[in-house]
Amino acid sequence: MNQNPLATMNANDIESVEILKDAGAAGIYGSRGANGVILVTTKRGKLGKPTINFSTKFGLSTYANKPDFVSGPEWLQLRQEAWTNDGNTGLATLPQGLTWAQAQQNNTDWFDLVTQTGKSNDQQLSFSQGTERVKTYISANYGDNQSFLKGNSYEKYGVRANVDVKPTNYFSANINIGYSKGTNTRVSAAWSGGIGDAMSTALPIYPVFNQDGTYWSNGANPARTINYMDWKSVDQRLLAGITLELKPFKNFTLKGIANMDNLHVVEDQFSPRELTGNTNGYANRWDNQILNRNFTGTANYDISFDKNKITLLAGAETQNFEQNGYPSGIGGDANTPYSKDQAGLQARMAAMAATNSLYYVNGLNRTTFASLFGRVNYSYDNKYYLQLLMRRDGSSKFGPNKKYGYFPAASAAWTISQEDFLKNNKTISNLKLRASYGITGNANIPPGEYYAKFGNSGSYNGNPATSPQNVENPNLHWEQLKSIDAAIEFGFFNNRISGEFAYYNKRTSDVLINGGISPSTGFGFAYQNVGEILNEGLELSLNTININGKNFKWTTNFNISKNYNEVVSIGNLSADAIGGGTNDTRIILGKPVGTNFLVRYYGVDPNDGLPIWLNKDGYQTKTFSLDDRVAVGKVIPDYVGGLTNTFTYKGFELNTLFTFAIGGNIYDGSAKRQLGVVTDWNIRTDIADRWRKPGDIAKFPRLTMSSNNYPGLSSEWNYNSTMFLYDASFARLRELTLAYNLPADFAKRIGMRNAKVFATGMNLLTFSKYPGGDPEIARDFDNPQDRNMSPNVTYLTTPQQKSVTFGFSTSF
Amino acid sequence: MKINYKSLAKGVCFLLIVTGITSCEKFLDAPPLNVITKGEALKDEAGVAAVMNSAYQILGGGDVFGGKYQVLSELMADNIQGNLLSGDYGEIYNRKTSVFGDYKNGFYTNIYQANYRANTVLENLGVTAAKRDDLEGQARFVRAFAHFISVRLFAQPYGTTADNSQLGVPLRTTTAIDPATRATVKQVYDQIISDLKIAETKLNDVNPGYPTKMAAKALLARVYFSMNDFANAYNYANQVVSSGKFTFESDYTKRFSEGLSTEAIFQIINTDGSYSTGGGLRDNFRSDFNLPTLRFTPAFYSFVNTTNDVRKAWFNTVKYPGEIVTTKYNKERFNVPVLHLTEMKLIRAESAAELNTNLDVAVGDINDILNRAYAGTKSIPTNSSAALIKANARAERLIEMVAEGDRLYEIKRIGAKGENIDRRGAVWNCPGLILQFPVSEMASNTNFQRNVEGGCN
Repeated sequence: MNQNPLATMNANDIESVEILKDAGAAGIYGSRGANGVILVTTKRGKLGKPTINFSTKFGLSTYANKPDFVSGPEWLQLRQEAWTNDGNTGLATLPQGLTWAQAQQNNTDWFDLVTQTGKSNDQQLSFSQGTERVKTYISANYGDNQSFLKGNSYEKYGVRANVDVKPTNYFSANINIGYSKGTNTRVSAAWSGGIGDAMSTALPIYPVFNQDGTYWSNGANPARTINYMDWKSVDQRLLAGITLELKPFKNFTLKGIANMDNLHVVEDQFSPRELTGNTNGYANRWDNQILNRNFTGTANYDISFDKNKITLLAGAETQNFEQNGYPSGIGGDANTPYSKDQAGLQARMAAMAATNSLYYVNGLNRTTFASLFGRVNYSYDNKYYLQLLMRRDGSSKFGPNKKYGYFPAASAAWTISQEDFLKNNKTISNLKLRASYGITGNANIPPGEYYAKFGNSGSYNGNPATSPQNVENPNLHWEQLKSIDAAIEFGFFNNRISGEFAYYNKRTSDVLINGGISPSTGFGFAYQNVGEILNEGLELSLNTININGKNFKWTTNFNISKNYNEVVSIGNLSADAIGGGTNDTRIILGKPVGTNFLVRYYGVDPNDGLPIWLNKDGYQTKTFSLDDRVAVGKVIPDYVGGLTNTFTYKGFELNTLFTFAIGGNIYDGSAKRQLGVVTDWNIRTDIADRWRKPGDIAKFPRLTMSSNNYPGLSSEWNYNSTMFLYDASFARLRELTLAYNLPADFAKRIGMRNAKVFATGMNLLTFSKYPGGDPEIARDFDNPQDRNMSPNVTYLTTPQQKSVTFGFSTSF
Repeated sequence: MKINYKSLAKGVCFLLIVTGITSCEKFLDAPPLNVITKGEALKDEAGVAAVMNSAYQILGGGDVFGGKYQVLSELMADNIQGNLLSGDYGEIYNRKTSVFGDYKNGFYTNIYQANYRANTVLENLGVTAAKRDDLEGQARFVRAFAHFISVRLFAQPYGTTADNSQLGVPLRTTTAIDPATRATVKQVYDQIISDLKIAETKLNDVNPGYPTKMAAKALLARVYFSMNDFANAYNYANQVVSSGKFTFESDYTKRFSEGLSTEAIFQIINTDGSYSTGGGLRDNFRSDFNLPTLRFTPAFYSFVNTTNDVRKAWFNTVKYPGEIVTTKYNKERFNVPVLHLTEMKLIRAESAAELNTNLDVAVGDINDILNRAYAGTKSIPTNSSAALIKANARAERLIEMVAEGDRLYEIKRIGAKGENIDRRGAVWNCPGLILQFPVSEMASNTNFQRNVEGGCN
């Protein structure tokens, strides 16, 4: 959790969140907005009397769903069945040298041991005042969120001041300063020994403790890791911006904006000797600053005559990103974390410096962008709108002749309901058509890939080492996204029914990919511009006011969308050359990105209980082969959407939000180990439907303890088959909120302007046929290409949070 | 917060853009400062030496001699109790690797990355001066070693065909980034020997932590021995042993230690807090804390479990009842001796026996080892037959080199001589006894010929 850049924001400081998707709207943000723009506007001081807002929230949380695993005795029984199936007699051998007597003593519920009831509290106080000359918004907040993962918490506080000054009518200035400090007490990621252990190698037959009370450590023991590991990262963030606006003459505005975002992250990880097994423990520190700078200048001129309005805008923008710090970290034997032992940290740094392995750098991953842009907006009579946009983006990520990209966009809109023939129509209250076409650029690769990079790699034998980092590609250039967007906005019966129906078609070409090359070059991958991807879709949103009575009001919002994704070209690369994610997905022409590439499972042979596969050509075979993998499944759901209903009665408000996905598949990468060969992994309860004796018709084949017994299978990891492909459809009660606004006169009597109490439940209900836990999966790969390449693959994913929050807010 | 003059400069630059005075080309000429260009990196001798140094980081890292090389080799051989292994280890142990498998595929790429670094050095010797010969020797040594590791794991052994025309591995002697094709095993061995013979003349005599003339000779001895070329193997092993530069350790436990072994001919140096090697060995074999992943078969243990064998101390059968674990790597830190005197003595003795010459030298070597192993209670007579010497050399090698990744290559070498010694009952050149190439080799060249899979146990 909290790896998210928005984690340091205070939700109460947010005035509005706007999502800009089409090239006409997002284009002005250049390459930063190539994948769309989420525009977060913070609150500002409001004109009027000073107001103080206070809100407090307390919450409880747990996991939304979890897979069901067999108990200790059941696990032993399955193990024994596999052992006997394999032709052995006597008792099965057990993992990690456990005897049956030891194993039978345990029935450890590891999932329970690594989770807890999470508790959170959030307090926030803000002050707002405004006069014509000066408006001020000041806020402070504190939050402490103990997650449902034992040992994981995030505590933060933050302050913010937004000041708007307008000394004269031709000059104004806005200043924003926000500071926050967050302390993230971390646990291992799910797949690397965190909660994933409870779903994989921490078996119910393993004990938590030895006889002598020490932690058992011959196999996975996540309780031991959580107990001993001391892992904290402290992030301090300073966000500051200033906007100066000058109107030297009528209709002309000059604007200068400077923003900075300084994030300083100090991460300390410490394993005591109980974990390392050495004389000493081991401490690590990563200390890095991430610095972003933005400067924007625009000139704006408004012209209007008759019913024509023209706005001309020209601007320039620069961005600078860099990191300062110790990219390889500082680490060594220690018996206290460095956060509690400055002297130890200094000594370690001195020792590392003496052997040429302390490495500090200013300007790590430095990247710059410089852009020029111009825009013309024309409107006639509030009916016809036209916008033309041109940008030139330059990036330091590309070589001398490839730095610049030119990105135009054009959009038009027609408000039909403003036309005379519709103006007073009783039925149609709003009707608008809009369309846009535009190109945006994307430079989402690490800097410096266009030349051969060599970097400090510490030392060997006390002498400095410099190592090659990449395969140079001087031809790298901007990835292009060509977008066509069209939409109709409508409102009927005085907007009792309103909504929007939209179509988009986005073609990404010269896709920047870290594509596979011959590994005997010494490099697995090299960045290149390859191929073309199409995204096309329809989106419908519908808002209705169902009942609009004096005391009772009911409104509904419904949205649904369908996306189509297709790889149009992969250039010279072969399907296997585009790596990322797991080996269960591929890039295949004519299929969506990351389509499942699996051997088709036909079923169990009732005679011998062995699996039957379909080979490439569709014939049955009992020999598994990775050569028989074919593109199967649906990576993208047919439809996704949400349904919101809001009921208000006097001071009460009830809000429900359901989200859903229909169609589509989930591929469960961990099921290969949980439902396949009986090794040292937990087994899911749906293994009950398995072959046991000749004649059985079953879903899963006979149990075995060795992959050797399923002909052709090389390892459990390569069990890439449709046996683990599931229907991903689900519906979920994402949010349920009940709020009560105290009557205004009552509030006033106790000195408040208004007051509200509320209770919110998140993810309280989930409807899904997926047996592997949470149907809403999110891959946690660090690398975006890995995430993109396995959109519907889950592997020991931490479930979503289910929570209940109670709160009170007031202003006076 | 300090004033950032750089940002101020950028602000000024920005103002210039606004006023249209300059396009600020310079502003975009801002490479990341944590890296330098190839030209800067290799501008002088110190730079080339630093790149050479980085090759040892790979060779000594967890991906090669720090553990994976030994683990892969031991898994495929017949000393490990592997019936419960699953996942990547399971498929390697079961001798049926596929095109996937991150453990093996990462190893392959890394071997060649060390090789790439060596080639980078060889292509940039022009800027070197005093260290020129030494750097050339080091680079050729590393390049030869990388190919030797790769060809023995990914191709059928030397001697499989009479002319060794069976497919070997990609031969990479430049830094060119091309799709790969497989050279024959003969071509790969020719390149290895040619590189080592140059290295042998160019390397320094003494250079702690780095390959020396003697290291090149020791590796040549190992290479020739693997080819069953006993004359050359004897010659090179003999040069190393009789050089007097290395002394036979009376304490068998010192081989893996921090700078205590006098036997190491080439070793990866562990520098506390700066460079760690052997992590992969400790992770898989170390047994004083947790039950390790890799344990040994009772059949293997029976060889060492004899009355007077002091090397029993290399094993623990008590701590984890029913499991046989090694204590060889039960240290927090140690150097990894990649080539050591014990191996040279074993090569010299067995080569002499095969050649049926210099048997007195061979008997001396065997008795040195026996004397140490059995605390003076065991020896062979001075007039021992070649057959007895050979039998003893092989028996002691099995124990001495345990967990060092040696056994697999003995199965193959002796197999190529016509004798199947695999205790798991497989034929020495069965398909699965070599690893499958990574999928990306085939992806980047659809004509790349992969190995036949499976079919061993």
